[in-house]
Amino acid sequence: MMDVTSERRGSTVIINTAGRVDGSNASEFQDALEANIGAEDSAVILNLAELDYISSAGLRIILLSAKNLRQRDIGFSICSLSSSVHELFIISGFDQIIAIHSSPETALAAQEG
Amino acid sequence: MAEAQYKILVVDDEVDLQPLMLQRMRRDIRAGRYSFVFAHNGIEALEKLNEDDTIDMVLSDINMPQMDGLTLLEQIPTVDPNIKSVIVSAYGDMKNIRTAMNRGAFDFVTKPLDFADLRITIERTLAHLTEWRAALASRDQLVSLQKELDVANKMQKSILPTQFPRKDDYEVFAHMEPARDVGGDFYDVINLEHDRIGLCIADVSDKGVPAALFMMSSRTLLKGASIGCDNPGDVLREVNDLLRETNATEMFVTLLYGIFDPASGDFAYANGGHNEPLLIRPDGSSSLLPRTGGIILGVLAGMEFAHNTINVGPGDTLFLYTDGVSEAMNVETEEFGMERLAAIFAETPPDDAEETTMAVFKAVHTFAGETPQSDDITCLTLHRSESGS
Repeated sequence: MMDVTSERRGSTVIINTAGRVDGSNASEFQDALEANIGAEDSAVILNLAELDYISSAGLRIILLSAKNLRQRDIGFSICSLSSSVHELFIISGFDQIIAIHSSPETALAAQEG
Repeated sequence: MAEAQYKILVVDDEVDLQPLMLQRMRRDIRAGRYSFVFAHNGIEALEKLNEDDTIDMVLSDINMPQMDGLTLLEQIPTVDPNIKSVIVSAYGDMKNIRTAMNRGAFDFVTKPLDFADLRITIERTLAHLTEWRAALASRDQLVSLQKELDVANKMQKSILPTQFPRKDDYEVFAHMEPARDVGGDFYDVINLEHDRIGLCIADVSDKGVPAALFMMSSRTLLKGASIGCDNPGDVLREVNDLLRETNATEMFVTLLYGIFDPASGDFAYANGGHNEPLLIRPDGSSSLLPRTGGIILGVLAGMEFAHNTINVGPGDTLFLYTDGVSEAMNVETEEFGMERLAAIFAETPPDDAEETTMAVFKAVHTFAGETPQSDDITCLTLHRSESGS
């Protein structure tokens, strides 16, 4: 249902999440995010290109991660939202809290800029 | 005689109330459901609470000599934080009702007392109290996840109104079906001054007892903030700031709140990150209400919430729902979606709030078939009569 992988670009980690995140696997999603962030990472980009669906329980994990990373002074942004997921981010007002980019490249550029 | 099931402390400086209460509630007293203790001001009430730790609920007047009801409300938690209070106030005394709700009152009734109404309010408060105690017990002990979810589901049910306005010019109906292991939806219908009503639909981000407690806070804060406030955006701002103060776990709630004025048909609403309601015309065509922006509640303090006003014309229907409706899935993992929802209304233009609500549930169930329900499904329908007001 859900698959989390990561790749590194310098000191930035790009975490790709695919499938569905809902109440049944939200805590698994939280653990997977945490496991993919290394001690040396200065920024995290969450790539949701392959994400089919996210429920409010999943949004809460993203929010928790964003707050947690901010406290650790680690950058955080999201990229490549499908139109339905983007819609959800707009309705919930998440787009006002978290930086959203169209692709990993633009997210990386913003991270460096 | 055996101890009654629940003990209620009634606090009022009017001496006539005691015999009247005992007389009107005699059936419940005889059946062993309630017993009553009386006090005539706040100080006496606190003495009774200190002497007797079996009191479950306080029903208190506001204006009393020596110590008034609002001061008493502040003091009760120092004696026992788990006593639930209901405030009795003068009709239209919104300022005091608001203060009482903000100080943790569970509900209020207005004078002159209608004993049938009072009984419903007492029953609801006691039902809630029972679930509240079970929730606290399960939080304090290690209980199985399933047991915890059962407790949370019961708490959720205990705050949902089951009686709705059915007037000549409009009617309301709402229904919630909980998912087996994810809960968090709630709705409320709040009586406001000048015959207006406040409508709310909401979805808490998490499941289990912490989410149910967060839901309780949201519901009570909304009820307090909505009384005496004409701007739904200001109501959401207040609820958001108060939720933020007490929220350490980054839970949040999406909540849409609006005020309906039956005289004009106007519906003024503001949105904390919830999906927009649908306005359905008498011919069955429907459209989403314009977006007002607005972020989920409980996450960031100091946010502003814009509001918008639309007119619900004669024969129009307003349909509030949670994403459990639009995102219900069938065996092919397709979502129910907005088009199927609109098709229900197009096929049978709504003319009855209850029938319309239940038609949506039926369509969702038929669509989902054997697929287990993964989220709560909640609908709230307001239908304005063809003849208008």
